[in-house]
Amino acid sequence: MLKGSNIHKSFGDLEVLKGIDLEVAPSEVVVLVGVSGSGKSTLLRCFNFLERINKGTIEIDGEAIDPKKHKLSEIRAEVGMVFQHFNLFPHMTVLENVIEAPIIVKKMKKADAIVLGKQLLEKVGLSDKADVYPSKLSGGQKQRVAIARSLAMEPKVLLFDEPTSALDPELVGEVLGVMQQLAQEGMTMVVVTHEMKFAREVADRIIMLDEGRIIESADPVTFFESPSHERTKQFISLVN
Amino acid sequence: MELLQTVFDVFMQTYPGFLKATLVTLQITAVALVLGTVFGLVFALMKISRSKVLQAIANFYITIIRGTPLIVQIMFLYFGITSLVVLSGFWAGAIALGIHNGAYIAEIFRGAIQGIDKGQREASSSLGMTRSQSMRRIVFPQALKRSIPPLGNQFIITLKDSSLVYIISVPELFAMANREAAQNWQSLETYLVVGAYYLVLVMIFTYLLKLYENKLNVDK
Repeated sequence: MLKGSNIHKSFGDLEVLKGIDLEVAPSEVVVLVGVSGSGKSTLLRCFNFLERINKGTIEIDGEAIDPKKHKLSEIRAEVGMVFQHFNLFPHMTVLENVIEAPIIVKKMKKADAIVLGKQLLEKVGLSDKADVYPSKLSGGQKQRVAIARSLAMEPKVLLFDEPTSALDPELVGEVLGVMQQLAQEGMTMVVVTHEMKFAREVADRIIMLDEGRIIESADPVTFFESPSHERTKQFISLVN
Repeated sequence: MELLQTVFDVFMQTYPGFLKATLVTLQITAVALVLGTVFGLVFALMKISRSKVLQAIANFYITIIRGTPLIVQIMFLYFGITSLVVLSGFWAGAIALGIHNGAYIAEIFRGAIQGIDKGQREASSSLGMTRSQSMRRIVFPQALKRSIPPLGNQFIITLKDSSLVYIISVPELFAMANREAAQNWQSLETYLVVGAYYLVLVMIFTYLLKLYENKLNVDK
């Protein structure tokens, strides 16, 4: 579904990713963990082509993506992204946020987009908020709208960049609940998060990044009970 | 008291001509604002474009306009352009004011566009929007809203600056005041009256702007 091979990314002299190989299977939920600065968010942004990789390849559905040849906008439409700070469009209502991309990018008819948008808002439990502006929502509600907005493009993969890090603790659960539901429905997901309970319960595979390299890749039980790398053990004792 | 009386007398004598001239002032201001907004938008987009050539052109325009006095620009356009094409004083003045405004409005738009959080552009990109779709649908509407207070300020400046076109004999408010003062020998009173005309116009405009801003805030 999504495959990165030998991904290198530098910002100036700083090499953030030092050769990452990662393949995500259809319907798989991969959780990326690691201390801050380990490169997990950068990796996610590379998969969405918000950052250009310096070396290596990214394949989507078996097709290697070359940013010079492919239209990036078309590729990004297939890879959804949910951001830490939601990035909802403040000048549009909740429903308008959700239907904007299908109408503008996919040229969907407005009436059809509204039907789709309302379905998605119901899915994330926000049917009653369709006509309000984002400024009237709580953080948890905003993030659920952002998820609905990404889903409206029917992406093949959904990337989550610390989706609950900007939320008050009591609002984290409602967002994780929606994500868990998506995972159960078979959505392919790559999630950067510090929520270890979520990783343990929902992930098919947990990947530990350290200084730009993958040092551990295991199912949750193995990851938490018998990690192989010393840094992983330290990390687990730190977050538990 | 005596001054008040004579000011009132001057007001009564001059208002038929002054009201007509007010119309000219408003017309020239309106044309200058429309032109200035169009120029401002075009040059703001050039300045934030990825093309070095377009950036250079925009920078050149803004540097020249901001670096020279408006009255010089008016004279230059009037005598420069009218040697090539036939242009009335009104249009020469309106175009000069428009070009002049464009430079300032370009900076207002540029600042507002660049002030929009980059997460907005990233979110629209991640949804598959192209750069221009994201600009048109996401960034620009938000930037425009933020531009309204500084634009209102610029509009007020334009209204007052339009008095400078008296120098090329456009029959607007200030030119009319000059003419009256030369005839009635009551310069002090005449300029007091014309000052009041501008003040009232600006106050009306400020009030309308405030109503509009309030409406925008209610919408959000």
